Amino acid sequence: MPRTFIGLLLATVLAQAATARGDAPDPGAGSEAFFDLRVRTVLAEACVKCHGATKQSGGLRLDSREAILAGGDTGPAVVPGDPRAGTLLAAISHDEDADLKMPPSGPLPREARDALAAWVTAGAPWPEAAASTAIEGRAHWAFEPLAAVAPPEDPTGWASGPIDRLIAAGHREKGLRPVGRADRRALIRRASFDLIGLPPEPDRVEAFAADERPDAFARLVDELLASPRYGERWGRVWLDLARYADTAGDNSDYPIPEAYLYRDYVIDAFNADLPYDRFLHEQIAGDVLAAEGPPEEYARRVIATGFLAQAKRFGTIKLEDPHQIIEDVLNTTGQVVLGLSLRCARCHDHKYDPITANDYYALYGFFAGAKFPFAGSEEDHKPSEFAPIVPPDRMGEYEAKHAEMVASLKDQIARATVEAAAKADEQALAVAAAELALEAAAPEALQATAAALEAAGRELAKLVRVRDHGPKSLRDKLDRLEKAGPAAIAPRAYAVREGGPTDVKVQIGGDPRKLGDLVQRGVPKALDPAGTIELPPTGSGRLALARWLTEGRPRSLAARVMVNRIWRHHFGKAIVATPSDFGLRGAAPSHPELLEHLAAEFIASGWSIKAMHRRIMLTETYQLATEHDSEDAAIDTGNALYWRFDRRPLDAEALRDGLLAISGDLRLDRPGPHPFPAEETWAFSAHHQFKALYPSDHRSVYLMVQRLHPHPYLSLFNGPDASVTTAARDSSTVALQALYLLNNPFVHDRARRFAARLIADEADAPSRLRAAYLRAFGRPPSSAEEARAEGFLHEYEAGLAAEGMPAERRGEEAWAGLARAMLASNEFLYVD
Amino acid sequence: MDHRPLSRRAMIRSGSALAAAGGLGLGLRGRLSLAAAAHEGHPLAPRPGHFPAKAKHLIVFFMTGGISHMDTFDYKPRLQRDHDKAVGGRKVLGSPYAFRPRGECGKMVSELFEHLGGVVDDVCFLHTVHGDSAGHSAATLGMHTGSVTIPLPSLGSWISYGLGTLNTNLPSFVVLAEKEPYNGFQVWDANFLPGYHKGVRVIPGADPLPDVKSPVPSVSRRDLEARMLRDLNEAHLSARDADGLLASRMTTFETAYGLMREAPEAFDLASESKATLDLYGASADAPGSFAAQCVTARRLIERGVRVVELFDVGSNTNWDSHNNIDDHRALSRNVDRPIAALIADLKSRGLLDETLIVGCSEFGRTPWQDLTPRGRGHHSRCFTCFLAGGGARGGYSHGVSDEYGDAPAEDPVHVHDFHATILRLMGLDHTRLTYRYSGRDFRLTDVHGEVVKPVIA
Repeated sequence: MPRTFIGLLLATVLAQAATARGDAPDPGAGSEAFFDLRVRTVLAEACVKCHGATKQSGGLRLDSREAILAGGDTGPAVVPGDPRAGTLLAAISHDEDADLKMPPSGPLPREARDALAAWVTAGAPWPEAAASTAIEGRAHWAFEPLAAVAPPEDPTGWASGPIDRLIAAGHREKGLRPVGRADRRALIRRASFDLIGLPPEPDRVEAFAADERPDAFARLVDELLASPRYGERWGRVWLDLARYADTAGDNSDYPIPEAYLYRDYVIDAFNADLPYDRFLHEQIAGDVLAAEGPPEEYARRVIATGFLAQAKRFGTIKLEDPHQIIEDVLNTTGQVVLGLSLRCARCHDHKYDPITANDYYALYGFFAGAKFPFAGSEEDHKPSEFAPIVPPDRMGEYEAKHAEMVASLKDQIARATVEAAAKADEQALAVAAAELALEAAAPEALQATAAALEAAGRELAKLVRVRDHGPKSLRDKLDRLEKAGPAAIAPRAYAVREGGPTDVKVQIGGDPRKLGDLVQRGVPKALDPAGTIELPPTGSGRLALARWLTEGRPRSLAARVMVNRIWRHHFGKAIVATPSDFGLRGAAPSHPELLEHLAAEFIASGWSIKAMHRRIMLTETYQLATEHDSEDAAIDTGNALYWRFDRRPLDAEALRDGLLAISGDLRLDRPGPHPFPAEETWAFSAHHQFKALYPSDHRSVYLMVQRLHPHPYLSLFNGPDASVTTAARDSSTVALQALYLLNNPFVHDRARRFAARLIADEADAPSRLRAAYLRAFGRPPSSAEEARAEGFLHEYEAGLAAEGMPAERRGEEAWAGLARAMLASNEFLYVD
Repeated sequence: MDHRPLSRRAMIRSGSALAAAGGLGLGLRGRLSLAAAAHEGHPLAPRPGHFPAKAKHLIVFFMTGGISHMDTFDYKPRLQRDHDKAVGGRKVLGSPYAFRPRGECGKMVSELFEHLGGVVDDVCFLHTVHGDSAGHSAATLGMHTGSVTIPLPSLGSWISYGLGTLNTNLPSFVVLAEKEPYNGFQVWDANFLPGYHKGVRVIPGADPLPDVKSPVPSVSRRDLEARMLRDLNEAHLSARDADGLLASRMTTFETAYGLMREAPEAFDLASESKATLDLYGASADAPGSFAAQCVTARRLIERGVRVVELFDVGSNTNWDSHNNIDDHRALSRNVDRPIAALIADLKSRGLLDETLIVGCSEFGRTPWQDLTPRGRGHHSRCFTCFLAGGGARGGYSHGVSDEYGDAPAEDPVHVHDFHATILRLMGLDHTRLTYRYSGRDFRLTDVHGEVVKPVIA
């Protein structure tokens, strides 16, 4: 059972947390606070699992004072005031010659042992408040296997499926009555933005509104899931988590022209509904899987490890500070896959989560055994160490090509040498002539003649260098080419390559220069009491680690974390409000049984993300209206229990893509690589950082994003910071966003194009207005709205006339004005 | 999140209060207090700090590239005496600049800061600041966020988070930077703090704030569009029972209209008197000059902006004088008079007490010769920063560096201590200004930092 181990680790953690509060006065060992902070926690987490209510090893219980004084088979555990008597302190000392060593898994941390000793010395006081209840051991829910869930029937008949029944149980408990279903128009707009990030086409809205079939919504969901636009929407969710960027994040922010391959991999994986477990395996160990074949999967799997390679880079020298790269990889992988931050354990045992520094360096080894690509940096402008995406047995053609390039360069050098030799001979004559001229020079010409001689000499020296060694630029090129080998000219990805088995030493205090004990590669004991997994004799062991995540003990946790993310993106709020923190300080689930149910279904479906969308979206809960209900609101103001659907703002991508779609300008083809400057020209440094913006009418997921210089639009609308994994974007609405919507040329262009489209497509004002409302809001205007809009157009055109604008231009100008108001309005910016 | 939705009534009240303030021609301060009152419930509404404090505003001068301490404010006669001598395998570089005692306090200031020397009785120097990196990017990040590795929220963002702002019609944290510093936006980013706390970078010139000018030339047509937008939103909102989310988005549009009205005026120096502009050495028709930006900084804090940071130069051709310390002369000419003028100007307007001024660089420079016998290298183990106004102790120098200015001899001040002190002067306790993120309570000073009490008046 894992509980003991978790308990032990928790004891470590809690003991340290207590001692780490440097500013708090140390409570006396006889005080109530000391008991609560230092004693109870140790007993609860390290002892009572085997010496408590459920189990009494050696006839001993350690969950109340009486029991401790009574002791077990070998006598009293504690004699108050006498630390040398009793079995407890002797057992936890783990002395070599002691008969009994407790806990059996290893000694408690020193602080915990000292605390118990001090408490015994102080007379083992037991505060009255604690006396009535025995101490219970705790296990953290998120680390436990999935619990079986039996969703209760809903007597009201509102809920039939298991998700709705679990939600309805919450309603009943609080006396909430769910509002009605969303109307068809609201529902299709909601589902479209949700699954593909685009507004629905007007004719599709009309067809859906008129579709009487009972499975109309299920058909719509299937249609949206089958659209290639789906991966562009949901792939972005993963790219946020994977802290995806097109630059390295070093102090010069070197561009990575190959990064987009990983972005496209993610989009394609979502479109193909690649099972989530395989998706993880590929991203953590795709290079290892690639080597196993088949060859047609080779490139894709290697590219997948971009997830690891995307770690932010630091410094100015090639692959400087590998420990920071691996820290990023561990922290990102831990948070994304398991909802556990590992970063703290780099320097010390994690204060809140049961992750020790040893655990950290046991995991570190898996990634220290991988080779990371280098994008270029201030002191070495050339990218290198990229992963070829051609299987080794097809490298032959690149070997030939490489040999050809080497030969051609050598040939060029040889020719340059010969040329230089001839020129050098001529120049030698020129130098001789200049020497003679100097000897003969008149005093007033002396300086100029001497300068001429010096210049001639320099030129000669240059030619001699070229004659003897070849031109430097060509030589360097040859040198690089020969060093890099055929792999450098093969198609490549910003991905990792497999290395050998690597175990590392603990870096004390996180300092790579202060090394402690060697740690075998392994897994955190809190997640898997064995602490080890079976490792192959060769290689880094990453594939074994990846498989352990979804097939070993953390399987339940990995499933919980992912379904919680999917839920969050459908509802705008998560079941566990801290989606990347399922640790001890993370939020407790609002609907624990629902989370268990979803996770179990996710695994049972073969980790199908699309099946999870269907399961969630076809519920009554998802299809609730956003309408207000004052009785429900009085009970549950924040709608924590889902009595209605929460209205949500469009995010950065949906807003920009929506504007482009409405104006008819959105390009739906896949753009391919970004137009970065040619690699030969790179000389970026901290003083002259790489910074570029590449305008595009493609979907926003394809915009070039930098780590050091965020895209101004995406940044303004709370896009992710690509330096770290992002589980939940900031949701602030600020005045600068309003300024953008009011005044930015991009928005004005969209409004103008939208107006032109309306005028071109529709014959008269009422049909134009109807088309405008259908496109922007997904519904036709009411007659009052028609009147208001016509009034606006009339007044606006009058204003234009007064300004002297020719009549034939006024119509489009006025419609553009109306379009601007509509596209800045809440009805467009929010989804009901 | 400290987001509190506005009620529709509060929003409408705020709109009309602002309109009234604008229409009645109230004085600046009157408008400010009205604006602040109207924005009760606004996420940037002013909040009390942990302590009563004099300083309400912060102006940071960041001299990019590493300003030399022993050529400016940390007088080291030993350097001159030992010039060109080898010390520990390195050759000493004596300062080429003349120092003389200034002010009543008699502080030795070099000729590079002739004007600042004139207000030295209002300035407080810290001579033993030290940081964790001698690389430009890491040290610049460290000086702004406390972290020399991963990006974290900046000082200005933390203060905006802690105190809110005094005029929600303007950003709470404005960055005046004609050129980008090392690490770009990360040095003013809010990172995990809510986005409205991030610094808004202003590039001085025709369009100081992005999108503040409407492309629609006619005011009356702009009004028609604004009215149409309001009507659309009102109808939408009324069918949705005053959803706070929708109402607060509507408020941002009202604030945006406020910005469109106020920002151009705030950045326009035309109304400044010739005497004032001359004091700074500024000219209204050259808004990009450092001097003009100093005038702008004063105008911004007068209008309620909480934090203003000015970068004098960018990530190249800056104070990074590896080759020739004489390069400091032209650089100091650019900043000396405007900084001194700002201190004097704030003082004469009675604003110096409520405005904390901070002057710093990412690090100092070596007492030793560097790439050439005239240049100095990066030096993070000991350098000088200064404070003025806002409750800082004028005419005082804290900490003593050794005879060469190489290392702290007495009272070292880590960058974390410096940050703790700035927060303290702003009325914030650096151990209590926390934000829960990723399962942990983060602070500007991480788990470090001691307030340098002697610099507080």
